[in-house]
Amino acid sequence: MNAEKNKQGLQGGEKKGKAGAPSPKILVFACRWCGGIGAGRAGWKRMDLPVSFRVIPVECAALVEPDAIFRALASGIDGVAVLGCHIGGCRYNEANHAALKRLELVKVLLDTAGIGGRRLLLAFGTAHEDHQFAEVIRNFHEFIGKEPSLKPWLGAGEDIFLRREE
Amino acid sequence: MMTISHKSMEEIRIKARELLEKKDADGVLALRRGEEAVVAPHVFREPGEIGRLVTEPKWPLAKTAMRILQSSPRDFRLAVVVRGCDDRALVELAKRNQVTEENIRFIGLACTEEQAGRCLCERPYPRTIHGGKPQPGVHFLQDERVSSLLEGDPAERMARWAAILRRCIKCYGCRNACPICVCVPCKLEDDVWVEKGSIPAEMLVFHLIRAFHLSDACVACGACQEACPVSIPVMALQFAMRQALKDRYGYEPGLDGARKSPVLKNFLEEPETGKDYPAWITHGGTGHE
Amino acid sequence: MAHTVVLLCRCFGEIDGVVDLDGIAGRLREQKQDMSVYLLDSLCQEDDGPKIETLLREEKAREVVAALCAGDRGYHPLRNALRKAGIGPSGHATVDLREGCAWVHRSDPAGATEKALDLVSMALAALAEKEPSRDVTTAVHPSCAILGAGPAGLAAAAALAGQGIHVHLLDRADRPGGMLNLISKIYPEDDDGKSRIDPFVREVEANERITFHPRSRVTAATGFAGNFRITAEGPDGPFRFRAGAVIIATGAGIFLPRGLYRYGELKEVITQIELERQWIRGTPEKKRFAFIQCVGARSSERPYCSTICCPSSLKNAMRVVAEVPGGEATVFHRDIMTPGSVLEEYYRRTMEKGVQFVRFREDDPPEILGEKAVEAVRVRDAGSGKEHVLPVETVVLSTPLVPNRDNGALSALFRVGLDSHGFFSETYPLHPLETRLDGIFIAGSARWPVSSEKAVEQGQGAAMKALALLGRDRISALSLSRTPEEKPGHGTVAENACTGCGNCVAVCPFEACALQERDGGRFVSRVNKMRCKACGSCVSVCPNGTMQIPEHNYRVTAAMIRRSFSA
Repeated sequence: MNAEKNKQGLQGGEKKGKAGAPSPKILVFACRWCGGIGAGRAGWKRMDLPVSFRVIPVECAALVEPDAIFRALASGIDGVAVLGCHIGGCRYNEANHAALKRLELVKVLLDTAGIGGRRLLLAFGTAHEDHQFAEVIRNFHEFIGKEPSLKPWLGAGEDIFLRREE
Repeated sequence: MMTISHKSMEEIRIKARELLEKKDADGVLALRRGEEAVVAPHVFREPGEIGRLVTEPKWPLAKTAMRILQSSPRDFRLAVVVRGCDDRALVELAKRNQVTEENIRFIGLACTEEQAGRCLCERPYPRTIHGGKPQPGVHFLQDERVSSLLEGDPAERMARWAAILRRCIKCYGCRNACPICVCVPCKLEDDVWVEKGSIPAEMLVFHLIRAFHLSDACVACGACQEACPVSIPVMALQFAMRQALKDRYGYEPGLDGARKSPVLKNFLEEPETGKDYPAWITHGGTGHE
Repeated sequence: MAHTVVLLCRCFGEIDGVVDLDGIAGRLREQKQDMSVYLLDSLCQEDDGPKIETLLREEKAREVVAALCAGDRGYHPLRNALRKAGIGPSGHATVDLREGCAWVHRSDPAGATEKALDLVSMALAALAEKEPSRDVTTAVHPSCAILGAGPAGLAAAAALAGQGIHVHLLDRADRPGGMLNLISKIYPEDDDGKSRIDPFVREVEANERITFHPRSRVTAATGFAGNFRITAEGPDGPFRFRAGAVIIATGAGIFLPRGLYRYGELKEVITQIELERQWIRGTPEKKRFAFIQCVGARSSERPYCSTICCPSSLKNAMRVVAEVPGGEATVFHRDIMTPGSVLEEYYRRTMEKGVQFVRFREDDPPEILGEKAVEAVRVRDAGSGKEHVLPVETVVLSTPLVPNRDNGALSALFRVGLDSHGFFSETYPLHPLETRLDGIFIAGSARWPVSSEKAVEQGQGAAMKALALLGRDRISALSLSRTPEEKPGHGTVAENACTGCGNCVAVCPFEACALQERDGGRFVSRVNKMRCKACGSCVSVCPNGTMQIPEHNYRVTAAMIRRSFSA
């Protein structure tokens, strides 16, 4: 087992990607159906993905509240992805329609503020196959990695919210 | 010779007096010029008082109207002198069950061109006009201060907003003045998303949350900005979202009391312009056999 | 904080081959929390369930975090163990460390370990904020309302009555049978039309549990699964009854092809139903028949195939050849739709019996020739491109089944959806015969044009689905889930905080929210827990956090975000 290598992971400090460059932080909300299924399939296929993302599973993309997205971006998380089912395929009777409209509008506000709507990735139905999930994650990881850091925005804020266990 | 605003004031007074004389309203909420020329909102009860009614300066009255109605008996009919923004605000409040339009008598005041320019208002007139003549609106990007805030390089924009928002002292003036912000408790005060006791670090999330909660309800009255003690152009956060709603759904808050925000409805009930869906996208059907 | 047990599954090396679970366990144990950490080789083997249950009981665990594979979605033994140890949905959190971590980050074990610790921390933080939803139960009324007494409705009624359920069977006509009353012979058996439904009709007459309401229609419907209150109007006036479930089997309407192929102008141009009427009266007089398919179907207005028209034409064409002396039949089609082995054989038999087939293109349909009567059909063969003129005496138009004109009203009454063509739509995916509302089912041509054979099958299917509900004495709101687990909670309103804005009412895809008036003219939202599906739409549009799903409230999300990159 890779005991030594693994132990490195628990040493904390600034996260480093494999090449030693700082790794972006990406939060992924994945609906239990299309989003979660795509993620699961990518796992079965043993696809290789960057470690920069953390998944919060939700029942439906409709549960993703804009306030959470603002909180995440204002706390040092560099990008947020919301994975839901394709339009027409929501098992909660088109709940994803209003969700998509709402999140598209969040992008507008993020653009206004200069944070950039592109930091919010909406993948409704484009991530329910393994290769699609992998592509979505890899592309977003690459894109976010190239975006300028949000640090200047945050002032003293980025450590307040994301913190270790007290 | 009467100035434009003097003439419209007279027209408003006529309507207000009429409503009270005919007992179509139990009170008229408008500005009153009291002793020593102090102007403040007042509920006029008697036609005789109307001589003191004035219509300047611009003073958003929607929230005051709401508070009066909510603390009055159920059958109290309140006439309100409304500019375009107040009119829209009351429509939105009615949609949210904070007032009922049956209890309101709208006395409509159209703003002057000058006022529209000061507010950067695209619709400086209410649905029904009793005083003044409707002026064409002003598009917000016509003002260089706004266009410089909203356009240009995203990184520069972000830096600009960061600098501006750093002034914020979290006085809640914007929230308190806004006619649409009526929630008690308010999400900006519970410490789930917005940390308590940390200034200025949390200003970004405070303002983003507030701006988005108003995304489909802001009537562009400018009360938020007027209330801000450190002159943050809070309303500028709303402009792009309002434009998006207009472009995507033909929706403007405050114009139609019967139409709820299109963002609450699915694409079949409130379709988005330019988005085309195949015929099989239905209320759940997939096409059978 | 309650005593928490953390179960870390090695998954036989699949997880801890990449993720340093021992290290993570060490880190967790360092934290000053009332927590016990266990590393196990597996959580899913046969004897694991009882082992875990024992462990949890001995630990007096109140909360559990399980880090394992993604396979906990379904019937994982862990769920049973948790339930038996008395830990409800708000008392446990699961973390996917296999598909979601170890298997996709094999090339970066250090990063994977860090991520795994973050994910476990997120789950622990989430657990601290999870709350249980208050469940409600309702008695299930052991009766079913079946709207429509055609083959689907009749089959459903017989099936349910046979299982001890009382049935209210309503129909607009004064006798059961639906469209089969108009059909002379059915395919593929070529039996008399009534043969399909006679046993059911007899059951309806004989079985006391079935009450047939002729000439009746529903005028109002309220309630929810287990407890619907139906008001109907019959020949003797209005009547009311309760039903635990509703099956909509109201069938479809027939499209009259006015203006197409000179229908209405020449009296020998008729529809299939009119031909059936002729058969019922006796043998038709004319000899030369032309059947034209897809009349008003598979077009831009009606871009669907009505499934029954081709077999019907084959049936009637064979009948012409067999029963009309000197009878001839030609079928003009764009495609012959006869899926399955039985109908395929039927098609071949038709060809063997001497029925002719000519294929035409959609943009070049046949033309009916004749001044005062039908004389011939002019058609361009799609294959050869050659034009033919065939002398015929009768033209039978195959027209599609179309949604009943009052589908809209009925769908509004019951609040179930219609698809873009106007038929009742079932809920998606994998739940045929169910609508988006629990307890309301659809069967037969009300759902989609089908043959009487299929209508019977669907009626029986819908009955069995209804029985899953009606067979219970009581149901709880949390059990109304279409997935194999419990519903993950339901929308819950903090009454004192609700401003009555109505956003939740407007956005709910299941119309589960309603505003109630309180003293002082205040409005407060109330969630019908039986209808709520916990999708979360209401939560996202509630301006001040009043509406939450306790098991995934906003403190849970906030806590998870906090810990997401904290390792």
